[in-house]
Amino acid sequence: MHIVDGALSNEVVIAGGVLAVGGIALGLRKLDMEKIPVAGVLSATFFVASLISVPVPPTSVHLIMNGLAGIILGWAAFPALFVGLLLQSVFFGFGGLTVLGINTVNIALPAVVAFYLCRSGILTAAPKKAAIWGGIAGALAIALTTGVVAISLTLSGEKFYEAAKLVFLAHIPVMIIEGFVSAAAVYLIRKVKPELFDLHNTVSQGAD
Amino acid sequence: MTLFKSLALPTLFAVALFSATPASAHKVIASAFAEGDLIEGEIGFSNGEMATNQAVEVFAEDGRKLGDTHTDEEGFFTFQPTEQIVHIFRANLGAGHVAEYRMEIDELPDGLAGGQAPASTGAKTVSAPATAVISGSVAPDALKELVAEAVRREVKPLRREIAAYKEKNNLQSILGGIGYIIGIFGLAAYLAARRRQKQSGIAGQAAE
Repeated sequence: MHIVDGALSNEVVIAGGVLAVGGIALGLRKLDMEKIPVAGVLSATFFVASLISVPVPPTSVHLIMNGLAGIILGWAAFPALFVGLLLQSVFFGFGGLTVLGINTVNIALPAVVAFYLCRSGILTAAPKKAAIWGGIAGALAIALTTGVVAISLTLSGEKFYEAAKLVFLAHIPVMIIEGFVSAAAVYLIRKVKPELFDLHNTVSQGAD
Repeated sequence: MTLFKSLALPTLFAVALFSATPASAHKVIASAFAEGDLIEGEIGFSNGEMATNQAVEVFAEDGRKLGDTHTDEEGFFTFQPTEQIVHIFRANLGAGHVAEYRMEIDELPDGLAGGQAPASTGAKTVSAPATAVISGSVAPDALKELVAEAVRREVKPLRREIAAYKEKNNLQSILGGIGYIIGIFGLAAYLAARRRQKQSGIAGQAAE
């Protein structure tokens, strides 16, 4: 899922950089003090999750966990995932420094979309129902990520349909796994620590 | 206290993820070296899979296209260089994977490199001394070729192992990355706390 240096045209890289800066700025404004530890842990989760690979011939794909980061953090997923991506590119050579912006957008924007689409579902009364919404958010974030990756490749000259099909099909196992992991996480959070979801809601309502 | 509580759950989750075996991700590896008067190279993924029947484009440093070639069933390609310039081999493996290898002038095949002793880079260091020793004696050209061929065959698995080793994500860098994440978010928490303290201080003064 990490696009490497040199795969994209300059326009796409620059546009990605600008969008990423905007998203990070917005995310930092929404990141209040109580959220910082959670953001750090989700950033670490994303950093490590990408090392767990799922072999899909001819290559292998890895977990991303952006859906979970999105539904817990909202816009604050942007800075959290950016930090994870930055360290991945420095330590493991995933992606690269020039494409950091577009990679951040590709991974954090779907997280934010999942946040807005599944938020109300996760806040519904029954934890089981919330878990299903969590699963949807986890799978949806991956599906959307494959979509935006395909769009970035298309804008750089690849044929959209082929690029999208290839990336999407390869990530079906990841969608299933992350759907289950996110559902389990949401269920657990709703049972054990429901404030984790409500906290942001009440704070952002108070701030806006 | 709530801070610790809100940390506990995602930390557990992160640890659970972390304890899974970190497998190699889908990074692209490319390398090339002189073989007789040809350039031979290989393209594969860091998990050991090779890119088979893959089109490879060859460029000069100024972006001029020098030619095309493609990989065989084992991920190897050969290219006949005609100019003594930097060669850049580039293969688009689709879905954002681009392999690129830059071959410097002193790595070019002997005939093109101006007959000088090749610089100590890559596989060349191993095969070059062997060739030099033989050429010092009265051995016929055929024997020279044979020895060079044998040495190349012997170092091939070694070279591949080195390439795979370079791509390995070791535990230290994973832990280092997590350490950085904790540090970055710790700093963010510190700054946020200081700002809040200042604000409450100002508010307190205003109340007085």
